[in-house]
Amino acid sequence: MRLGMFFREALRSIRANAAISVAATVTALIAVFILGAFIPSFMYVRSAVDAQTAKVDVDVYIADTATVPQVNALREKLDGLRTDGTVAAVTYVSKDDALRIMKERLRDPSVLDELPSNPLPAKFNVQPTEAENADVIVAAVTNDPALDPTEGIVYPESTADRLLTAAKFVQWAGFVLIGILLLAAVLLIGNTIRLSIFARRREVEVMRLVGATNWFIRWPFMIEGVICGLVGAVVAVGMLWGIKVGVVDAWAAGADTALTKTGSAAGTIAFPLLTVVLVGAGALLGAVGSGITLRRFLKV
Amino acid sequence: MSDGPDSGRPTFTLVEVPDTTPVDPDMAPMFSAPVQDGKRRKGDIFRPGPGPMVEFRNVVKTYDGNSRGLDGVSLGIGTGEFVFLVGPSGSGKSTFIRLIIRELRPTSGSVTVGGRDLGELRRSKVPYLRRAIGCVFQDFRLLPDRTAAENVAYALQVTGHSQKEVRRRVPEILSLVGLDDKFDRLPRELSGGEQQRVSIARALVNHPRLLIADEPTGNLDPETSLGIMDLLLRINRTGTTVLVATHDQHTVDRMQMRVIALEAGRVVRDEESAGYHEDTGEVLA
Repeated sequence: MRLGMFFREALRSIRANAAISVAATVTALIAVFILGAFIPSFMYVRSAVDAQTAKVDVDVYIADTATVPQVNALREKLDGLRTDGTVAAVTYVSKDDALRIMKERLRDPSVLDELPSNPLPAKFNVQPTEAENADVIVAAVTNDPALDPTEGIVYPESTADRLLTAAKFVQWAGFVLIGILLLAAVLLIGNTIRLSIFARRREVEVMRLVGATNWFIRWPFMIEGVICGLVGAVVAVGMLWGIKVGVVDAWAAGADTALTKTGSAAGTIAFPLLTVVLVGAGALLGAVGSGITLRRFLKV
Repeated sequence: MSDGPDSGRPTFTLVEVPDTTPVDPDMAPMFSAPVQDGKRRKGDIFRPGPGPMVEFRNVVKTYDGNSRGLDGVSLGIGTGEFVFLVGPSGSGKSTFIRLIIRELRPTSGSVTVGGRDLGELRRSKVPYLRRAIGCVFQDFRLLPDRTAAENVAYALQVTGHSQKEVRRRVPEILSLVGLDDKFDRLPRELSGGEQQRVSIARALVNHPRLLIADEPTGNLDPETSLGIMDLLLRINRTGTTVLVATHDQHTVDRMQMRVIALEAGRVVRDEESAGYHEDTGEVLA
């Protein structure tokens, strides 16, 4: 009953102050749009970095000419590293396994059938417990007689360290940016609501004069803020969806048409979840923005 | 038209405004509804008792820069009285009124309204004080984007009345002030006198114990002013205490009510059944 009345009051005030309401809505739209573009990008970068750091493993390729005792010696050396905690896991990938994996990654695996023999060497895939341990593993197996002379040891060298630093930086920069964006949005909406209240200062005065309590005055303004925030958020989500379908998905599909499939493990936030987050953020922005602003007006 | 008051009668027994008085053509036949029901209502913050409606004790109000709004005012206004507050601009009339509705707080001294010391009234209770006091201003203070009926309805909604009750009481009170056919007009579509009637209807709709009017006729022509004053008088007759701050010498002289004259923040005169100036009390023709 009362809520209905507050709602009607809010709609009345939106209608009566159309220009300011539109300004508040557009402010919310911009804030939510930037937030909505930023959150998935940030999460994609983070997940890509995570996927990369998880991939800091060392491939030790075995020469086709290596004897069984030589290979066993190499395996023992790696197992020794596992017992002292440097290595998490050692996986043997045979020549046939390597060929099968290659086939899976190709769009047209039939090209491999043309080969006279299997050119891929067997390997030990060594996963270090810590990315920094890669150097220790490399040092231990360098010059081993079983090593394939051409492939040798393949590992991401110092990129591992740089990736870790980058990952931390991206994470913190992301949090700081999101924080700044939210703060800016709250201030912008608050400012817009302040204009709206300023335009109706006399009206608020009259309301107080006839004995309206502060909450009675506040509710319609808060609802007004929430409506502006929601409308802005919904429009922003619509725009983001258009961009996702029209640009991002098309680009991702384009990437798949290359020779290999994009086997990237990096993912991002699901769009429905993002929608919920953004619409919620819009409503919250409106409510907080008007709430903060009203406090100053209702003091006396 | 020189019928003075009978000096022996209590102040709230009113002098009849003669029927020959030129009145606003829109004037309602009578203000006859019982405004006072005597019972203590929900949310009513006034303390029941025989004491005065308004009491000022040594009230001093100093504004920034040492200008004095009020300079030691002590007086009481009894329940049911009709009082004129007169004095030149800057004499402290507005300060006096704003102290009563607690828009201001005294620098020293105390203001009591309806048995409540406003100095001890918590801020959260101020809205309830204002609901018990009806206010009418020179500039009407109507909500510009609401019709006459909506303006009155707002005061009812504020006090938590149901939609049903709003629908019942708003037309009733608007008819009472003589606006039968203007319910759906916006303030700008009404004349000054009509706007003031809407604001009086708004002030009355919550059955206030005290009606305060700050220059209610300041923006109106003399004939319309008479209509408004007549309306205030009829409201007073139902038991509501009425306080009118005014410059309108003619009205004050004609009505012969209690007059409190302020000058430079001091009470310079407080007389029963008087005129605007000391010497014009009896001479009116």
